[in-house]
Amino acid sequence: MIVPRLSARYMSSGPIKSSLMLSRIPIVTRALNPFEKEYFNYQAELERRLMRTFPQYYYFKKGTLAERKFLDIQNGVISKQPNVWYPKGIPDVKHGRDRRFKQNILIPGEEANKNDEKNLSRPIEVNARVTEADKTNNMSSLNRKLSHTLYLIVKEKDQWKFPSFNLESQSLHTAAEKGLVDLGGNQIKIWTVSNTPAAVIKYCEGELVAPTYESPDERIERHYIIKSHIVAGSFQPMNIEYKWVTNDEAASFFDNSYFQQVRHLLANF
Amino acid sequence: MFKTYSSALPQSLSRGLVGATRQTPTPFIQFVRGKRTKKYDLSPAAQKLITQLSVLSASRKQPKMLKLCPEDFVKHNTVQEAYKLITRKRKKAENEKLKQQYESMKLACEDLSKVSPELFEAANKREVSKRFSLELRVPTNYPPNVPWYYDYTPESPEDKK
Repeated sequence: MIVPRLSARYMSSGPIKSSLMLSRIPIVTRALNPFEKEYFNYQAELERRLMRTFPQYYYFKKGTLAERKFLDIQNGVISKQPNVWYPKGIPDVKHGRDRRFKQNILIPGEEANKNDEKNLSRPIEVNARVTEADKTNNMSSLNRKLSHTLYLIVKEKDQWKFPSFNLESQSLHTAAEKGLVDLGGNQIKIWTVSNTPAAVIKYCEGELVAPTYESPDERIERHYIIKSHIVAGSFQPMNIEYKWVTNDEAASFFDNSYFQQVRHLLANF
Repeated sequence: MFKTYSSALPQSLSRGLVGATRQTPTPFIQFVRGKRTKKYDLSPAAQKLITQLSVLSASRKQPKMLKLCPEDFVKHNTVQEAYKLITRKRKKAENEKLKQQYESMKLACEDLSKVSPELFEAANKREVSKRFSLELRVPTNYPPNVPWYYDYTPESPEDKK
């Protein structure tokens, strides 16, 4: 690895720090809004209505037991009879399907015991999208808000921020990776998105200033934000307060001026 | 009329004759499992091919054409337009955000190049053969049994050997 020479680091400016924006990517898909739910359901129904008839004669050989089992559980259709008045339209049955409607195919099979773990055809039981950590509102847990991206924030000088680390003759991303391990232990695996910083945050005499702020006389402290994802493990610092928050929650924890400078880096969900 | 009468006569006569003679024994049907009872003009292989082709063909399997009344058609179009509008808005917001992200990245890099050319060089070094971590999971509709893998210990250099 090439270690850059940092002799000219404090040449004209203040200290440089590497700030880590560590995120936990969503584990479940985002919750759909009521309109999207309705729309997707409508599209699925349309697709089923316009689907071709299932060619059951291809899958079940004629006269076999399998065919009989399959046909026995299918819901029958109303056939067209002469001199009969059908109030809901005349049936149009082809291949055992009324072509005016969608086809509901039922698959034969015995109900498997759900506790029988060896049986692959046991009914699927899904896990809840809302976890225990959501119910207790445990903000230091990585099991919370599964449908959102979580960001690691720490309390520095009574202010919630992304953790930032000093540079010791390294590049920005290695300083951030090493700093995180020093702060929160090595029982963590992270994957850094890029070596390139995603943003810069400038402080002039402890006050947050705009990223375009330039001043040759004054010493500006620069925090370069490196983006990274947590892959496994956990952040367990010794004596620092930390939280895993969503972007909405971050707005309430951060200072407004700080949030305005980083909000475009946060994911929508 | 005469013709039908004349034709009926020999039939009734012949019926009487059949009753008088000894009846021929009717051939009894012996059932054999799996034996083809229906006569096919085609060989089984050709018949199979026809079945397979008929699966692909649309004949008799097409659903009836969907005919909406004018009111339903307007409803359908409105729903489609509403969804398009939402998608367009979301895409626009996404593009704007990407633009902002790019601008802030550019600003940070320009700033870094002025402050520390060494760090700038290290930050823009090409990352050859960088891959996504395999442990990063694609979001699913429902969570796995263990949502987060806490029990992680880093691989020590001795383990690698």
